[in-house]
Amino acid sequence: MTAPARTPRRVHPGISGTIIAVCVATIIYQISFAVPLRLAGQAYMLIVILLAFRYWPPMIRWVKSMPVAHRVVFAVLIGSMTAGHYTLNGRTYFPYVTWEIFPFVNERDPVTCREFIATTNSGHKVRLLVEQLFPSVVQVDSVELMDDPQYYPPGTTEHLARALAKVYNELHADDPVWRVDLMLLAVQLHPPASESRATPSCELLQRYDISSGQ
Amino acid sequence: MRITATLRHLIGPIELLHEQAGPRLLRLARLGIFLLWIVKLLLDPLWRLAELPREMFKPVGVLAFLPASAVDAFLTWNGLAALLVFTLGVLVVALTDKAFPFVATVAAVLLTIYSSTIRSFGPAVHTDIVLLLAVYALAAFAWADWFALKFGGKKTVPGAWSSYPLITIVAMLCLSYCLVGLNRSIAGGARVFTGDTMEVWAIDASLRGYYFNTNIGWHIPEWPTVVFMLRSGLPVITVFEITAPLCLAVPHYRWIFMPVMLSFHLMSLVFMNIFFFDDMLLYLLLIDWSRRFPALRNRNS
Repeated sequence: MTAPARTPRRVHPGISGTIIAVCVATIIYQISFAVPLRLAGQAYMLIVILLAFRYWPPMIRWVKSMPVAHRVVFAVLIGSMTAGHYTLNGRTYFPYVTWEIFPFVNERDPVTCREFIATTNSGHKVRLLVEQLFPSVVQVDSVELMDDPQYYPPGTTEHLARALAKVYNELHADDPVWRVDLMLLAVQLHPPASESRATPSCELLQRYDISSGQ
Repeated sequence: MRITATLRHLIGPIELLHEQAGPRLLRLARLGIFLLWIVKLLLDPLWRLAELPREMFKPVGVLAFLPASAVDAFLTWNGLAALLVFTLGVLVVALTDKAFPFVATVAAVLLTIYSSTIRSFGPAVHTDIVLLLAVYALAAFAWADWFALKFGGKKTVPGAWSSYPLITIVAMLCLSYCLVGLNRSIAGGARVFTGDTMEVWAIDASLRGYYFNTNIGWHIPEWPTVVFMLRSGLPVITVFEITAPLCLAVPHYRWIFMPVMLSFHLMSLVFMNIFFFDDMLLYLLLIDWSRRFPALRNRNS
């Protein structure tokens, strides 16, 4: 008489998931002296999320139903996106970029901004915005950065002012601009009680005569 | 017992989004994604970039591999217009099913060059990256279908294949939100949520002005209610961002996620002039159409 076959004991997925999560946390803690917390912490939380899906039956069923080629594609697409994020590089591996929106503390007061304000032949004042005159560009670096020789060669701001004026004048030939002012706008977050709270103050930084340059 | 039952009722069913999707739904998604790109490109006077100062051009992605002479030839009125027209042509062909793997791959390459070009004059912002990755997914899965049919033998049953690109696109959309949320909470720390950070970002964006300009954001310090809304809204939105992958699994969660995130995107437009309309249109893929309309369902499911 043979003994009845013993069914192998299976560990509950939740328990094995927890064990793996704790192990990964330990490893990350051990190497966190070498890897910045910004990377290690995000990697840990992402692993926990991926593990949750790893043990979710419909996901297992769906992945198992895939032919090998499709599995490879799925893994490469999701893997590249994740790897791109951890490069902490927004440009080199585009479109596999670091995903960040408001990722750091920003508490400057007053909030300042440099802006091009142009004067037309009829005396009107118009804002010259790169993103409006060149709608292809979603966002350019701030003019503060363009004035920083670490990032841009000297003269970039003036060249940009002239380029903006040129395109504006092509689009508004009936009332072109002849002068562009680089203004510094400032809004105080916590002004003294006697002052208006949110009227931007304006200061002229630079003046470009467009009519003489064209 | 009753609490468990109530909780279960609140959570609702747990099922994989688009698991039953059929070829018709995939075809509609393809049409939507390529049409969206066509509309975006039709509205874009790309050739004007030739007027921007060359020193502003800092090549992004594949453009970094181009030699200086090629960049000079490319950044001209003719070069940029040629890219735009050729890309539009390929996208129109992609609307048909003719040689789809090949055409979609060419479209993915051209859109990558286009997206890299418009980002080379500033920071590599996130708008339309998921839309570009969606084209990658459509092209790559089309090739995978072709390989599986050619080398998979008689066992291959392409029934559920339509769900693969759709689920992957939604997974990438959710992952993008999740990574943004994780980055903010871990890199930024608690102070991002407790100090003046959100007001500063909003005023800064409003002062700078982008394509859309509401000119409202710089008044924020005048309105305590809006300040409260922004400060309390950021942690809530971050929680929704981090938990976005739940959209793949929990239908009830999706119906909370969509209005919350749509209102967040609309608030970003009103107070910060930032508009993620590509992502908002991709929300259409967060609706499990095939469970509602049998015609869009996979017949083998």
